[in-house]
Amino acid sequence: MLGGKLFADAGGDVIQIEPPGGSASRIPPYYKNIQDPEKSLFWFVYNTNKRGITLNLQKPEGRELLKKLAAKADIILESSVAGYMDSIKLGYSDICKIKPDIIYASISPFGQTGPKSHFLASDLTSVASSGFLNACGDPDRAPVWIGFPQSGQYAGAEAAIGAMTAYWHRLNTGEGQFVDVSMQESNMSANMNTLQMWDVNKVEFNRVGAVSYVAATNVKQPIYFKCQDGFVMILALGGNPPYVPSSTKLVQWMEEEGMAPDWLKNLNWEVDYNAAVLKQELADKVGKAIEAFTLTKTKTQLYNEGAFERQILIAGVSNTKDITEDIQLKSRNFWTTITHPELGADVPYCGPFAPFSESPIEFKRRAPLIGEHNQEIYIGELGLTKADLTTLKDKGVI
Amino acid sequence: MSNQPFEGIKIAEFAWVVVGPSTSRYLADSGATVVKIESHKRMDTNRINGPFVNGIPTPDGSMFFGKHNPNKYSVSIDLRHPKGKEIAWRLIKWADIVTEAFSPGTMEKLGFGYEDVKKVRPDIIYFSSSMQGRGGPHSSYAGYGQNAVNFCGLTEITGWPDRLPSPPYGACSDYISCRFSAFALLSALAYRRRTGKGQYIDQSQFESTIQFMAVPIMDYQVNGKIMNRNGNRLPTAAPHGVFPSQGDDRWVAISVMDETQWHQFCRVIGNPALATEQKYATLAQRKKNEDELEKLVAGWTVRHTAAEVEQLLQSAGIPANCVEKPSDIYQDPQIEHRHYFTPLQHPFMGQQKYEAQECFLLSKTPRLLDRPSPCLGEHNEYVFKEFLKMTDDEIADCIVAGAITTEFTEKMTSSF
Repeated sequence: MLGGKLFADAGGDVIQIEPPGGSASRIPPYYKNIQDPEKSLFWFVYNTNKRGITLNLQKPEGRELLKKLAAKADIILESSVAGYMDSIKLGYSDICKIKPDIIYASISPFGQTGPKSHFLASDLTSVASSGFLNACGDPDRAPVWIGFPQSGQYAGAEAAIGAMTAYWHRLNTGEGQFVDVSMQESNMSANMNTLQMWDVNKVEFNRVGAVSYVAATNVKQPIYFKCQDGFVMILALGGNPPYVPSSTKLVQWMEEEGMAPDWLKNLNWEVDYNAAVLKQELADKVGKAIEAFTLTKTKTQLYNEGAFERQILIAGVSNTKDITEDIQLKSRNFWTTITHPELGADVPYCGPFAPFSESPIEFKRRAPLIGEHNQEIYIGELGLTKADLTTLKDKGVI
Repeated sequence: MSNQPFEGIKIAEFAWVVVGPSTSRYLADSGATVVKIESHKRMDTNRINGPFVNGIPTPDGSMFFGKHNPNKYSVSIDLRHPKGKEIAWRLIKWADIVTEAFSPGTMEKLGFGYEDVKKVRPDIIYFSSSMQGRGGPHSSYAGYGQNAVNFCGLTEITGWPDRLPSPPYGACSDYISCRFSAFALLSALAYRRRTGKGQYIDQSQFESTIQFMAVPIMDYQVNGKIMNRNGNRLPTAAPHGVFPSQGDDRWVAISVMDETQWHQFCRVIGNPALATEQKYATLAQRKKNEDELEKLVAGWTVRHTAAEVEQLLQSAGIPANCVEKPSDIYQDPQIEHRHYFTPLQHPFMGQQKYEAQECFLLSKTPRLLDRPSPCLGEHNEYVFKEFLKMTDDEIADCIVAGAITTEFTEKMTSSF
């Protein structure tokens, strides 16, 4: 759905197809917590600017209708179990027969072919397969994921980039093609440098938790600190720039507020707090002194004054409320609203994924209701009659 | 050369570190020509981030830099030198796309801001990427993805409810941002093809990254609910977690997503009666007794290897996967099958395996890595002669004048 949203936001005419009764993706959370498939916030977010129809692909009539739609489409995006679309004769080779230059993008856990192509995955197991899960969490407990599913979003974005790449090729050559997206691969680049650490130096990176970990000495330097209303990260490290000047400025700030003990004022960040010689005892002592200071302030105070006025390497651990109130996002007019007439409300949304100067993204319509554009598309664009629609409805096709 | 989609598309890359270089890699892996513009005074700072071949920090020995830059050319010119500026202008005129990721305002000071470039090349696609975008009180925020994962809300929701948050490793905000910017560049190319118009894209990595948090953000904005961290649990499934298995720090992820899978799961662990036991018979009951349920699951998984659990559950139609470690990834038969890694011979590092950037296979024009990441300034002669049609004398003059850099002035230190 995210892949289609990118096209829809960028101006494409995207039709979201769901089974009669509504998609399984109309999941919680719900608008005002009212459990109703028409109020799924998950659905709202990923289907902006799309039209929507219902269609039952398990019925032969449904499959015929999909072919009619495909004949008019540039791109098909789908994420069913690998091989399923082929099994119902709606796979890439089937669609090619009626639309030879179609671009057909499939998202699956491991790709369409290969030894694991038949494996099932959830978002969590997908992060495990990418190696990224292994890098996250406290060492004394199980690895942890990012609490809101990310893998499917990475894969959706990949499908959009892949389809767009194929589209460019079609503009050049007239040729369509198949786009085979792997969720496992999609989450893999987030490993940053851990795969290369193994491949190049045979160093196996494992999760270290909320610290800066010095592999050579096994010392864990605290960089997350409790404050009045949550946590902040301060890269209170030494050795070289940009850390030394930042840490020095932090101590100055603490001193101004009478919270820097003498030993801390005298600490040489370049020499004494250098990772090569640093002992755990000193790291813990410094961490405690900093936390005593951060506990006197809020996230916003620490971030606004620390990062901007004092040039300290600091970031608040923001929650969704902090993000909502963030002054930078407000000042760039990031947020938008979309009218949902049936809710009688303008619902707040994240703004564009990127600001285009010449072709800015506009949010022209909210996500479609179940079958909202059935008439418009089946009658208006595929040439069916009202009577046809009634028959199809009775047969459970739409 | 094969017939790749973006053959003929030219990118002048002033961008560095992760977001910009990852963005242009999407195009480079499908045939675009990307020239990285660096200098010995100001090289891509990822060159000083490890891992390094043989463990020795040198600008041409980092595979962290390597990961983001295969298929590209590197030139070394001093952007503050008048003749260096001239060469930069020639590259900008040569290019379809300019990318940069300096602190906001730097390119403008150097004379290469969008407004300057637009005068010369009205149809240029100009991409700037910074932590928080241009304009606004926090525009100057300097930092890396390690900072951004925090203010983007990812850290807060990662970890255990009874503990400090556990930041997601590294800089995943960078790897989220580059997906949006790659799609943005491709959209801008398509728009230019249709209208002849270029444009400016001023990416705030903050704004791109929180797209992946859009649902919890909306949940706060319409329902007032602040999302917190909750280990590996999911409100709509149980059991759903990461469980210990035999071996040293070996784990397996399991997701029982519906009632059919729950019944199958109980059968696989040899306790079919559990499925209908009152405490666990419905999702609501399993959520209520989740602590106990997870102990029970762990009691089963710990008697097996992660691979056994994965096999047993996958055969029964339940999503399960070993928590793969970096060493496992290089032996994963699926990764091998799709040729996710491409071995390439690097002039300094020897043979190295390069990761794909595109996580998709195109059936007619598959992703193609055919050149390793460049050494600093490796392609000065090639780029200046072939792309800019400079003469040997012109190049020699620029080297003598210091506009084309060839040597370091200070010793390099590595940050990690």
